[in-house]
Amino acid sequence: MNVSSCMKKHVVSVPVTATIREAAAIIVSKHIGLLPVVDKDDKPVGEIGIRDLLTLELPDFVSLIADVDFVHDFGAVETTRPSARTLDKSVKSLMKPVISVDEDCGLLRAYALMLQHNLHDMLVVSKEGKLIGVASRVDIGVAVLLAWGKV
Amino acid sequence: MILPAVLSCTIFFGSLIIIFSEKLHRSITAIAGGALMVVVGRLLNFYSEEAALEAVDFNTLGLLLGMMLLVAMLEPTGFFQYLAVLAARASKGKPVRLFILLSVVTTVLAMFLDNVTTVVIIAPVTLLICEIIGISPLPFLMSEALLSNTGGVATLIGDPPNVLIGSAAGFSFNDFLIHSLPIVLVTWAGALFLLLRLFKKDLSKRPRSVKAVMRLNPAETLNEPLVARRVLIVLAGAVLFFFVHHALHVSPSLVALSAAAVALVWIRPNLDDLFKRIEWSVLIFFASLFVMVGGVESAGVLESIVGLFERVSHVPPLLFGVGLIWIVAALSAVVDNVPITIALIPVIRGLGISGMDVDPLWWALAFGAGFGGSGTIIGATANIIVVTLSEKTRHPITSKIWNKRGLPVMLATCSIASILYAILYSTF
Repeated sequence: MNVSSCMKKHVVSVPVTATIREAAAIIVSKHIGLLPVVDKDDKPVGEIGIRDLLTLELPDFVSLIADVDFVHDFGAVETTRPSARTLDKSVKSLMKPVISVDEDCGLLRAYALMLQHNLHDMLVVSKEGKLIGVASRVDIGVAVLLAWGKV
Repeated sequence: MILPAVLSCTIFFGSLIIIFSEKLHRSITAIAGGALMVVVGRLLNFYSEEAALEAVDFNTLGLLLGMMLLVAMLEPTGFFQYLAVLAARASKGKPVRLFILLSVVTTVLAMFLDNVTTVVIIAPVTLLICEIIGISPLPFLMSEALLSNTGGVATLIGDPPNVLIGSAAGFSFNDFLIHSLPIVLVTWAGALFLLLRLFKKDLSKRPRSVKAVMRLNPAETLNEPLVARRVLIVLAGAVLFFFVHHALHVSPSLVALSAAAVALVWIRPNLDDLFKRIEWSVLIFFASLFVMVGGVESAGVLESIVGLFERVSHVPPLLFGVGLIWIVAALSAVVDNVPITIALIPVIRGLGISGMDVDPLWWALAFGAGFGGSGTIIGATANIIVVTLSEKTRHPITSKIWNKRGLPVMLATCSIASILYAILYSTF
């Protein structure tokens, strides 16, 4: 079995010209965690996820402190919103380099790459490099576990 | 003797140029330069492996390693967060009060720990406190770097150039307390006053959430209170011994290493984790620079320019000292102050040999190297650390911002230090 057998084929994406505000609106309306950024040929050039968007609310200085358990109230952090200027910036300023697999990639190879790169969703591309699907950890995990029924 | 002198100077100054250009990591350059110096020295018979080993100042390395080990044991206990949270609560969320308290905490720590370590430890928790209160962390981060650069000059163990100067000149911990601390205290107060003026607008903004900071419980920041207590007891013992090391004829490095040994035996930490927190590249950098300077000395460079020293020694020492503060400060503003100090140590020694009273010059070197780094972002590692950290916030520190605040602090600290230096050393 390969990754194309379990991926979601209906993929929502944004063009590189989209703003952060537009990307956030799509993530909210579609209730998804990852948004691929594609060029005019539908080839992925980056990806933007909820975690990337939330860095605008919670800058990653928290990762520099070994233990934030002692902070019971995040105070002003809870109510600090990004500025309109930040939200109107291009998604390019926030997107991450794309990590994808070919449609004929094996399930466990795709899963291994997700573990290695700490991804929850993996973009799947055709031989021509066009975006054709997204497979989540759950999609891949369920597909693998299904085979156990035949053991 | 001309060829060894020319070649050793070429290796040394060539390495310094590569270090200052930052084209290659400074420790890699220093290792390569040191190895090349020994190889060339052996080929031309002016330097040997034994002489290279003798050139390494183990007093400096031991003191740095001992203090690094103690800090590495204290760091994971959460003690530094404890101090910062204590300051935050005491400020009741008032920005100016928080600014002063965090500045005091940072400076006191910088007097006993390396100021880079101090900033690495204090800056992240400062960011957290500022974000919680809802104020810009920019003034706090900049002042922590600038005041730790200033405060570190006060003691023998506060700044790597001081460790080098102390070892080269034979100055004790108390010598620094007598000659450097008073000048640094006045200079530090001047720097703090200036920073409060420069950041007046930022600090006058009303914090958005004072309540959250009052909910911080300092006791909860201590992950390992027992370990923290033990390290602090050992550290206090070490500081006591630093006060009397000269009278006991014990080197500061033996005090620091003995304290580290006691703490290691008492706490028995995980060594793999502990050693990851030691800045080995700094120790290697120092050792390699010593090897290079040893090569230059063995090649007879100092003897060949002793005539120049004799001419310079006619300059009034006071004028010479003040000039040295500004020249070293200007150099330290753009390049690493450790190689500058290591390069100038033999020069001051040479002046001493030619009959000049060089004691005031050692202090001038310490002030210039310590205060000069505040001038630019790249002037001190502490500056680079806070700038890198600020990039993780909504208020990144740009070169323009630094030049507007850091440069005036450098000019003010050097000016105050020069005036006090002129007054206090005019009797020499």
